[in-house]
Amino acid sequence: MESLNALFSLGFATALTPANLLWALLGCTLGTAIGVLPGIGPAVTVALLLPVTQSVDPTGALIMLAGVYYGAMFGGSTTSILLNTPGEAGSIVSALEGNKMAKAGRAGPALSTAAIGSFIAGSIATVLLTLLAPIIAGFALQLGPVETFSLMMMTFAAVSAVLGNSPLKGFIALMLGLAIGLIGIEPQSGQSRFTFGLMPLIDGIDIVVIAMGLFAVGETLYTATYENKMKAGLETLTGRFWMTKEDWKRSWKPWLRGTAIGFPFGTLPAGGTEMPTFLSYSAERKLASPEAQKEFGKGAIEGVAGPEAANNAAVTGTLVPLLTLGIPTSATAAIMLSAFQQYNIVPGPLLFDTNPELVWGLIASLYIGNVMLLVLNLPLVGLWVQFLKVPRPLLYGGILLLATMGAYALRQSWFDLMLLYIIGVLGFLMRRYDFPVVPLIVGLIVGPMAEKHFRRAMSIHQGDLTVFLTHPISLAILVVTAAILIVPPLMKRRQKMLQAA
Amino acid sequence: MIKRVTGEQWLAFGVILLGLFMAWQLQDISNDAGYAGIGPRFFPSLVVTGLIVAGGALLMQRRHRNGPDTILSDGENDAEQLEAEEDAERGEADWRMFAIASGSLIAHMALISLIGFTLAGTLLCFGVCRALETRRPMLDLLLSFLLALGLFHLFKWLGLNLPALLTGGVL
Repeated sequence: MESLNALFSLGFATALTPANLLWALLGCTLGTAIGVLPGIGPAVTVALLLPVTQSVDPTGALIMLAGVYYGAMFGGSTTSILLNTPGEAGSIVSALEGNKMAKAGRAGPALSTAAIGSFIAGSIATVLLTLLAPIIAGFALQLGPVETFSLMMMTFAAVSAVLGNSPLKGFIALMLGLAIGLIGIEPQSGQSRFTFGLMPLIDGIDIVVIAMGLFAVGETLYTATYENKMKAGLETLTGRFWMTKEDWKRSWKPWLRGTAIGFPFGTLPAGGTEMPTFLSYSAERKLASPEAQKEFGKGAIEGVAGPEAANNAAVTGTLVPLLTLGIPTSATAAIMLSAFQQYNIVPGPLLFDTNPELVWGLIASLYIGNVMLLVLNLPLVGLWVQFLKVPRPLLYGGILLLATMGAYALRQSWFDLMLLYIIGVLGFLMRRYDFPVVPLIVGLIVGPMAEKHFRRAMSIHQGDLTVFLTHPISLAILVVTAAILIVPPLMKRRQKMLQAA
Repeated sequence: MIKRVTGEQWLAFGVILLGLFMAWQLQDISNDAGYAGIGPRFFPSLVVTGLIVAGGALLMQRRHRNGPDTILSDGENDAEQLEAEEDAERGEADWRMFAIASGSLIAHMALISLIGFTLAGTLLCFGVCRALETRRPMLDLLLSFLLALGLFHLFKWLGLNLPALLTGGVL
């Protein structure tokens, strides 16, 4: 119960200071607003805020960024339910049933079950995080560079093979991320790599430019080229807002099941929230009562409650590897990691010893943020709906303004704006040809770390490559990595053979 | 029969070219600083290999509807038909709009240090509105200007240093 002690004595003491409460509130509000706006997700928002947070103390800044991450998940459900255009991947499933419910005049209960489910899942997941994080961190202290490198290989394999529908495209995206990560001075030897003699490239390409380019510029170019004729209809909030007794009865089990599915998925390096939300959806569909099963596809409340809970639990789950191992498993977590790096703080097992106020303050702020978000999203949902009425062109124009501002403010140089555009075209092409973006971002951030650990391992073990197989923990991790790569294609093949037979 | 080169295959060429270009650049990295043979050139070599191999695999791959990543011998080749179906679903590409959006960004890049953030930003935002086919250009222009001006002052207040047109920093 050491962790509970630390949570209350250090965590809440830090998180409940007026300044940090204000950061949390600001983060949650911004996050909800951004989550509601169609087309931008938490990754862009966190990246946009990076330059602004430079003048804030690290604890406050990270509390705010965590609030944004959380808030965007809450807000995203509003958009998918009312507009049927999910702002981020985790909300795709909620749009399936949620939008149908809204069309049938049950937008209120759909929004309520999403918000309350997110709150419950987020709170339970934060309790799990509180209890698990110190244990995993204690275990992780025993991991040397060999094991850490293997763990990073597993992360690479998982994010590129599991996400998206083509492991090959995931792998190419990962390689592109690693390649971009190579640009700049190599810290161990002080040599510059792939800078082409250009001074501005010596420090490497900033994550802000990459995230803005891929998400904001790429998205705008794609929308302008392909989606001008698409019009989405906004559903209105009519009828009763609150859930009926029946709704509660049908929602509470999916909330808990969604949490149970979402949290473990978040902690695994399998990246992101798509998988758990889809799993939760199909589980609810199978487990629903016969009458409710008929409603699936026409607006079943279980199909909103479960995935929304899974989504939020997974988001909290991604903080476990981020805080205890220093390994990000989603795009947003990767950008959060670079926020830590901005303050020269290295997330990982030592963080609990070196910066206990920061870690525990951050965890405590998650409890507080959850409550704030419930209040922000339930009674005030009408306010956020107004955001959906902002015309899309102006919205994209504004996002690009912010993106160019973020890129330009780094060094006051047009060079970063050019990089922003080039990366934007890359993002456009990746979107057009269905390449997943997460492996690129994770590769970009984790790549340099992996190289450092690899070279450290090699210098300890005199360049003996077999250490990765002779260290038992490392071997175990690599076996799991191989399984991640080999098992899904085999399963697919078997399924096909069964179908053919 | 000469097969049409699909967009995806052009991309595969691009990935391979990038790999080759990086391989050529590898020579500029000297390798003497490494321990036990692992110098600053080792990791880039892995990435270069990965890019070329993966690009090659993407080039060889034919998609068919039973699933992604199936190699040619695995079944009939309906990549072209599949691509045509996807194109129909996606809708016609409107390259004029792509050019307007791109042009706005490039103009913004060129102009920001000359006419300041507010005016360059107004043009950018207005350009994006044109690219997304709005029907009220005058209102867009006004709103773009107000948005850029508002953001300029908000971020100046937050301590971000942005270029201004007038020395007083109003615009």
